[in-house]
Amino acid sequence: MDGPARFVLTCNGHRLEGMQAMDKELMQALARRAGLDKALAEFPDDVAAAAEQAAKVMARIKVPADPRAEPWPAMRPGDGL
Amino acid sequence: MNVGLEAGRGLHYLTVAAAARAIAHKQLSPVELMKAHLARIEKLDPRLNAFIRLDAEAALEAAKVAEAEAGAGRLRGPLHGVPVGIKDIIDVAGLPTTCHSKILEGNTATSDAVCVSKLRQAGAIVVGKLSTHEFAIGGPSFDLPWPPARNPWNPDHHPGGSSSGSGSGVAAGLFPMALGTDTGGSVRNPASCCGIVGLKPTYGLVSRRGVFPLSFTLDHIGPMTRTVEDNALMLEAIAGHDPRDPGSAAATSGHFGAALDRGARGLRVGFVRHFHEIDMPAEPEVTAALEHVVRALQSLGADVRNIHLPSLGEFAAVNRVILQSEAWAIHGEWLRTRPGDYGKLARRRLMPGAFLAAGDYVLANKRRLEMIAAVNAALAEVDVLLCASSMDPACRIDRPAEVERTYPRQARTPFNVTGHPALAMMSGLSSGGLPLSVQFVGRYFDEAMLFRVARAWEQVSGMDKKHPPIG
Repeated sequence: MDGPARFVLTCNGHRLEGMQAMDKELMQALARRAGLDKALAEFPDDVAAAAEQAAKVMARIKVPADPRAEPWPAMRPGDGL
Repeated sequence: MNVGLEAGRGLHYLTVAAAARAIAHKQLSPVELMKAHLARIEKLDPRLNAFIRLDAEAALEAAKVAEAEAGAGRLRGPLHGVPVGIKDIIDVAGLPTTCHSKILEGNTATSDAVCVSKLRQAGAIVVGKLSTHEFAIGGPSFDLPWPPARNPWNPDHHPGGSSSGSGSGVAAGLFPMALGTDTGGSVRNPASCCGIVGLKPTYGLVSRRGVFPLSFTLDHIGPMTRTVEDNALMLEAIAGHDPRDPGSAAATSGHFGAALDRGARGLRVGFVRHFHEIDMPAEPEVTAALEHVVRALQSLGADVRNIHLPSLGEFAAVNRVILQSEAWAIHGEWLRTRPGDYGKLARRRLMPGAFLAAGDYVLANKRRLEMIAAVNAALAEVDVLLCASSMDPACRIDRPAEVERTYPRQARTPFNVTGHPALAMMSGLSSGGLPLSVQFVGRYFDEAMLFRVARAWEQVSGMDKKHPPIG
């Protein structure tokens, strides 16, 4: 797996300002942070494909209209907690 | 013997309702029925690979008990003596739950999943465990301990997934009903590819306890049958509140077939055209079949109007982010320590969660709320939504690029995101002889309305009488 992977890092659905296509080192660092050293060694293409897929889907989500809206499901104390 | 057989058809194409009725009236022996299905399985399963584990001996023994009980007038329930197949991510006591994966090879369930237990209480007999995509996400794959299931309409083609064996086996008459699961469309995809009826019920209507999770907030368990009436019967057996499933809805089971024969007159149907016309342009045959369904419902007295929802692409993205985040929480440890024990597709589809941030997951869930509101608003205007299910007929199973291209071309994920009930069924046949599909979507817990409109289409089209040209 040579050269930079074909994806960009996203944050909350936005491409980060100034962030370039994620290079091999960054992707590997994130994979190692997740504990995927063995997968990285044995299946590097699969790890790269997974990282690319994650970036692609986030880029397709619109930012919700109200940033203060609670995510679902809401906490319900006394109901299973 | 007049037990409701279609002309020229064997017992293997008897519907659930007809079989149960005939058994209850002592016109049909559960043993005879089981033997007919086992013979069918022996003949066709080597070509279809619907089973991971056939439990023929136990099924036949159970049929003998059912026969004795029926003879004594003691019926366990509305499915007494009727065979059922179970997707192999759902626990059946004493049988393996492999999830079609080397990871769980040798894993044996110690108790029944709640949905299986309920089927048994209703009198159904488990015939075995059925092929799936690995962990309900990685498939069709040829690098797993068991081969992928095949489409009975043409075994060179994909039967859809991930409830592949369920769809293939029901369509081929290996069993009249099966359990599937649906996280991004996995009941409705095989139903669409194999020309049967597949329902993803309202989220929480059917207990998930005893089912291997893929994504906690997207997973649904659903019935797969050849007719709408059978689907309602099966749902009635498996629905109901489970206090030990944290996602279980408070709503109780109901008589889902209550409105079956009320027809389509006066129904307000919202047609979500942009899904298949703009968001993901469908094959012309798929579009033509959908238009045919619309015209048929209009001719029956339904009022059809256009409805607009968020785009399919965004629904799919929200589904993926939530699914992959939650699946990573389940599979992370195995992916760290045993990545080589997954097939390639599952590995690629389960690892993205490692690259998603907590903020991504929260953002996807916030958008999910807005999408729920959009679908609820649409369903305030109409009684039911009509839209595409698959944008293409099933592709060849041995062409990975074609599987990769067509698999995401679907309109099922929106209703995993929102939790609304959605039913897929056959809308016609392609020029290549493969099933085409339509999807109906209803208000929360209004499965009865889905069955009503689906039955109206079934009756006017005769789709329940179309079977694959196999065997």
